[in-house]
Amino acid sequence: MIDIQLLITGVIFGLSLGSIFFLMSIGLSLCFGLMRIISLDQLLYYSAGAYITYSVSLALGDLWLGVFAGMVVGGMAGLVVERVVFKRIYERDITFSMITSFGILIGGVGIIKYFWGLVPRPVPVPIAAQIDIIGTEIPVYRLVVIAVALLVYFGIWLFLNKTIIGKAIRAGIEDVEHVEGLGINVYRLFSVTFIMAGALSALAGGLHAPLIMVDPQMGLEVLAFAFVIVIIGGLGSIKGTLVSSFLVGQVVSIGSLIYAPLAQMAPFAIMLLILQLKPTGLYGSPLLKR
Amino acid sequence: MNILRWWSGLLLAFALVALVRVFLPLPFANEIMIFSIYTIGCNFLLGRVGFISFGQPAYLAVGAYAAAFYFYYFGTNPYVGILIGIAAGIVVSLAVGPMFVRLRSDYFALVNLALAVIIFYLMQKVLANITHGDNGLWFLTNLSPTPVLDLTRPDQFFIFAFLVGFIVWAFYKYLDDSIYGACCLGAKINDDKLRFLGYDNFQIRLLAFVIANTTTALAGAMYAVYLGFVSPEITSPARAADPVVVTILGGVGSLYGPLVGAIAYTGMKDVLSKALGNWELIIGFLLVFIMLAGEKGIWGTLEPLLKNALLRVWAASKPSESEGGSR
Repeated sequence: MIDIQLLITGVIFGLSLGSIFFLMSIGLSLCFGLMRIISLDQLLYYSAGAYITYSVSLALGDLWLGVFAGMVVGGMAGLVVERVVFKRIYERDITFSMITSFGILIGGVGIIKYFWGLVPRPVPVPIAAQIDIIGTEIPVYRLVVIAVALLVYFGIWLFLNKTIIGKAIRAGIEDVEHVEGLGINVYRLFSVTFIMAGALSALAGGLHAPLIMVDPQMGLEVLAFAFVIVIIGGLGSIKGTLVSSFLVGQVVSIGSLIYAPLAQMAPFAIMLLILQLKPTGLYGSPLLKR
Repeated sequence: MNILRWWSGLLLAFALVALVRVFLPLPFANEIMIFSIYTIGCNFLLGRVGFISFGQPAYLAVGAYAAAFYFYYFGTNPYVGILIGIAAGIVVSLAVGPMFVRLRSDYFALVNLALAVIIFYLMQKVLANITHGDNGLWFLTNLSPTPVLDLTRPDQFFIFAFLVGFIVWAFYKYLDDSIYGACCLGAKINDDKLRFLGYDNFQIRLLAFVIANTTTALAGAMYAVYLGFVSPEITSPARAADPVVVTILGGVGSLYGPLVGAIAYTGMKDVLSKALGNWELIIGFLLVFIMLAGEKGIWGTLEPLLKNALLRVWAASKPSESEGGSR
């Protein structure tokens, strides 16, 4: 049996990993839900957020400023891409947006390589303190990451349920044409969603930066995980994304305690299983028309 | 006359490829032959059946590793290795096909990509004591020379790849013209109507899936023979988009698109990445540009122009027969 201390560390690591995954894939999920596009470029904002965090925290010595700068850049980049590229392809087939956004992702990796080079960069952990949970030392930073993700989840929940824009977005996820019929400018909603998605992806990158090395391929490395999470949770569902990212985080973390190579593959096996049982994912809605 | 016309396009295309071989270095010619065979499976899935496949490297790796295991552990004959690669492709795509083709196109793309990632980790870590992990399997010296076409020599390998390419293209042209090809298009455009006509969508898609992925596995086995080594790198997620990019670059669904796309892609990769050193930037924005410009690709844009020009020449030289043509 696994040592209890290892298990606690594993669970906390899994939760923090799941939090990062949640922030990273929420953009993908929102964009699909509202606009019916698969926006792979979210992974670009994730890497960009990590790099901005690295540069700013190196220059100013404060990680949180860097994370904030990364979010601003991610949101702006999301807006620009939406205005320039996605605006032209909303009417097209869904595979179309997938290929186009993959092009943006690859091109963006090229831009990152141009500015920062190929060498992986380390980012120092801002909070070095450790906290004692049932005799196990846990880095406080990981707990902060979990707290941030939960805050973001409740923030999004409040935004979607209590504000008029959020309610319009939620209605748009159900039926865009009716929202348009009510006199709401859906294209402005799309822009708002894109800014939000880009900023959250960048937040994920910025928070993840101290836990890993920042390198140009990092977006492509987590691409498959983002896919898996969004599919398991159901495209377009925020609750599903939260549940499945914590699930995948735990599977990767606890799985690596049992047999390391298997941990990378287990999420995919789970995904295949869930898709066979429920082809729309855990919380996905069956309707898929626009 | 009709038979001649049926073959004429193929012969012309491969004559042009032979011309490429004359003017360009041998490794480049070999690379484009294998790469275009690799891409035509993806092209068939995307253009004819409507499945976008980001998981094509998975089947490439299946073919390559099946051949590699044979060369490394069992035998030496390159032809047998390639046949084993094809057989592995059929087995794997028959095993996963029934699960995959039930899914909608977008989920299909994601699940297929997930399969590529699974195979990547399988080859890199889980089976590391058989596959030697990231070091890969090296077996160039294990290959034995064969009598008629010696595949261990690059120049004769090109002739072999050329012939295989020709057969593959003839086969896909035959598929396009057959009733089955029409059914595939029907499954892409309107599967309800196809079911109404009495065809089984599931079987049509499964057969298309097996055909396309077996072609890809064939390309994988050819890579193994040509390079003499196989590493998990060929199925890495970062390269998952290559066949899709080439398909779109060449022109989705057009028969010669993969050939044109492979030449353009490999050429750009060789020339531009040497000149600029930043490959992703170019290919990424090129992809976005092609998609925004109308997703026709190079061959998709050229084909109607060429056809019109040819028709005009045809009509000018033989005015009496131009109306009696079958199509």
